[in-house]
Amino acid sequence: MDKETFKILAMDYLSGDMSEQDKVHFEELLSKNVSYQKEYQELLDTWSKVEGLDAPEPSSRMDENFFGMLTEAMDAKSRKSFWHMLQETVFSILKPRLAYGVVLIGIGLGVGYFLSPSNSSIPSQEVVETDNETEEIRQRLVLTLLEQPSANQRLQGVSEANKITSVDSIVVKALLQTLNSDPNVNVRLAAIESLTNYLDDPLVRQGLVQSIVHQESPILQVTLANLMVALQEKASIEPFRELLKEKELDTTVKKKIENSIESII
Amino acid sequence: MNDLSDNALMLKVKSGDLDKLGLLYERHKKRLFGFFYNMGNNPSVSEDLVQNVFVRMLKYKSSYTGEGLFVAWMFRMARNVNHDHHNKVAKEKISLNVSSGELGNAAEDDLNDDIEKEGNSVLLRKALAKLPDEKRELLIMSKYKGLKFKELADIIGCTEGAAKVRVHRALKDLRSIFLELEIS
Repeated sequence: MDKETFKILAMDYLSGDMSEQDKVHFEELLSKNVSYQKEYQELLDTWSKVEGLDAPEPSSRMDENFFGMLTEAMDAKSRKSFWHMLQETVFSILKPRLAYGVVLIGIGLGVGYFLSPSNSSIPSQEVVETDNETEEIRQRLVLTLLEQPSANQRLQGVSEANKITSVDSIVVKALLQTLNSDPNVNVRLAAIESLTNYLDDPLVRQGLVQSIVHQESPILQVTLANLMVALQEKASIEPFRELLKEKELDTTVKKKIENSIESII
Repeated sequence: MNDLSDNALMLKVKSGDLDKLGLLYERHKKRLFGFFYNMGNNPSVSEDLVQNVFVRMLKYKSSYTGEGLFVAWMFRMARNVNHDHHNKVAKEKISLNVSSGELGNAAEDDLNDDIEKEGNSVLLRKALAKLPDEKRELLIMSKYKGLKFKELADIIGCTEGAAKVRVHRALKDLRSIFLELEIS
């Protein structure tokens, strides 16, 4: 028999929670095994001591306190039940009105839902159409602004062109024309910047390459050289070589273009 | 007869018949008082804790299902009350717990004049006070005839076998402490 089983049996025997037959078996076990007998005797001794533990009688104060508390609880309950009855009465009067109110709100919501203009495809179509109209107006604005005599307004025209998501060829041509012929260097620079948004368009790339020979300002020449290097545009080599033949070319620009040609090759 | 069982009375209390709690109080007040007293509380505190148990019974009466023994439910509450009390005392840093000396005095008043018996009882209370709380409450609860190991296991939340082994271990520990105190 393992220790745990013995402990369980010993506790059953001690507490008297054992059948007669099991008791006999346990007593036999004890008589045959001295160590179990000793252990059981020690347990019995301590168990008897614990059983013998007593306590003084509680005082009458405990009874007084308890019954005082109980009476108070019963009084509170009867007061509570009065309020409960009152609440129930009030609620039973208001209940039908509350129900009517809820039903009316429900009907109102339902009617409102069905009568509201709920065709959701129309607004989105309208939005698309409005977007297209805005784009058209903006393109026209760009063209108009680019023709203005004031450099400021032409700059504004270029910045408006940046806001257009898909430009048509007319705007591209207008921007290229600005790049080639605008008297103001800043406007030309802005036009390059704007055109870099549409580098996928072959017309733009071609226009940029062709504009190389038309540029006299060193800053524009350098900007275009940088751009061509970034694009690795081989078609730009010839125009750059032509540019190098010019005697008045700034030496720094000359070096820059030579380097650029080498990088592209 | 069934109508007067602990379970039936508590179910009546649950349904709003509060004065039936008085009957339950009369039946169990001494047992509960003994539990708190033997757990090391002085008589006055023990009386207050008995009251707390019944206040909780009223407060949580709706949670009473009538399954299992009423005394098991009651002792579960008593344990909680005792723990809460000692936690509160520990927080306030005022030990209301009766010291060994006080325990001796409390016991002294009520024991008979037999010196040896009195000495043993004082030693036993001292030994009990040195036991961890869980073991002490296990031993004190197991001494009540109404509580079998099955209910004890239910109160402390373990299997019946585990409850027996734990009581066995607590008895052995108590014996060791008792013998140590006897020698010193």
